[in-house]
Amino acid sequence: MEPLLTVVDYGVGNLHSLCKALDRVGARTEVVADPARLLAARALVFPGVGAFGKVMEVFAPVAAELAARLRGGTPLLAVCIGMQILFEYGVEGECAGLGVFPGRVERLSHPKLPHMGWSPVDHDGTGCFRGFAPSPYFYFVHSFAPVEPPGAGAAVARSEHGGPFLAAVQTETILATQFHPEKSSGQGLALLRNFVEHVRRF
Amino acid sequence: MTDVPPDSGPAPRTRVAKRVIPCLDVKAGRVVKGVRFAGLRDVGDPAELAARYEAEGADEVVFLDVTATLESRPILSDAVRRTAERLFIPLTVGGGMRTFADIKEILRAGADKVSLNSAAVETPELITRGAEAFGRQCMVVAIDARRAGERWEVYTRAGTRPTGLDAVDWARRAEELGAGELLLTSVDADGTAAGYNLGLTRAVVEAVHCPVIASGGCGSLAHVVEVLRDTGADAALAASIFHYGLHRVSEAKAALAAAGIPVRP
Repeated sequence: MEPLLTVVDYGVGNLHSLCKALDRVGARTEVVADPARLLAARALVFPGVGAFGKVMEVFAPVAAELAARLRGGTPLLAVCIGMQILFEYGVEGECAGLGVFPGRVERLSHPKLPHMGWSPVDHDGTGCFRGFAPSPYFYFVHSFAPVEPPGAGAAVARSEHGGPFLAAVQTETILATQFHPEKSSGQGLALLRNFVEHVRRF
Repeated sequence: MTDVPPDSGPAPRTRVAKRVIPCLDVKAGRVVKGVRFAGLRDVGDPAELAARYEAEGADEVVFLDVTATLESRPILSDAVRRTAERLFIPLTVGGGMRTFADIKEILRAGADKVSLNSAAVETPELITRGAEAFGRQCMVVAIDARRAGERWEVYTRAGTRPTGLDAVDWARRAEELGAGELLLTSVDADGTAAGYNLGLTRAVVEAVHCPVIASGGCGSLAHVVEVLRDTGADAALAASIFHYGLHRVSEAKAALAAAGIPVRP
């Protein structure tokens, strides 16, 4: 059977947690390190380990084409740093992202960093958040976050650490979360299950 | 004299919940109890217990390898692997890691964070190297401290060896070196079930920016409430009250919520 999701290996961290969680909700995954192979994927996963600059180095040879695919409707699950590089610019590493969403990724303004632990996420109940109670808790580990609203047509969920930040962004084909659904126990698995079911219908 | 907090003015807003973290003492791949007393007893399989704690609402799980010898390492890796396979909350593993290769092996087995204690004191650059390679969120520095007059002194080697280091100074230094979190244990309080050391916890919390996990001395739900209400600690670690069957993690969460402390339900 063909894998449903192609997980990008940036070569820096443990992808196992996310793959295992996706496996738990019934999605076959393959792990791919060659960025050229990403362009042919049915659906992509950008995992949540690494630093902004390093991840963009990996994507550099295919960045423009990849951004075009994502705008054109290739489904994507993006976690933490995977979400951040979808924006135009990251102050960590001071470099451009893929620019799929407008706005910048800034350092959180709270003195206690990293923001590590469980925070409630205010969502609008649409897309992958359908069926969720208001403000469920998800697990965060980060010092940077996108702070400006993404473009029209993207639904957002927010949380707060120092100031408000984007905890999730979704479009018809993209679910990007600043938190780690693979570390967020039952709530995280429920969200991943919704994403996987959405991709299957696509 | 108390330390001056790094930031004055009103506390900035956050919605992060206080964490409750059960700690599993692991020896030769099994969870044991009575570690600091005679008569070590086997209380179960780490993967089973960790999964049960997740189901009860634990925010994370910590494994402490109490054998911590070179020979026990493959057994520990295997226990970490089996536990990580079933766990969908963060897992921190500590005990006996000495080298960069040790850290890498435990992270590769599925731990989300490693906790360094003696090795951090003896080889501080290990913290930096780990943080650079894996991110500081992976690097927990465990500090075992004992009262020494008006201050607290850092001990290594399971709380037996004095280092001459001041605990508050070492906490600051560990953060500068790359620690993303501190696991602070009062050796004086540990095993007494008389409550966390609030003074020590407060002093360290005020000296650093990163999250602090309070540990040592928890004997009741009231102790968990007290340390998270009164010290600024981000998380409370407890072992005996959970695996002696005294309380469920969910009861600790309920007690915290009743006291008005934000927790994940």
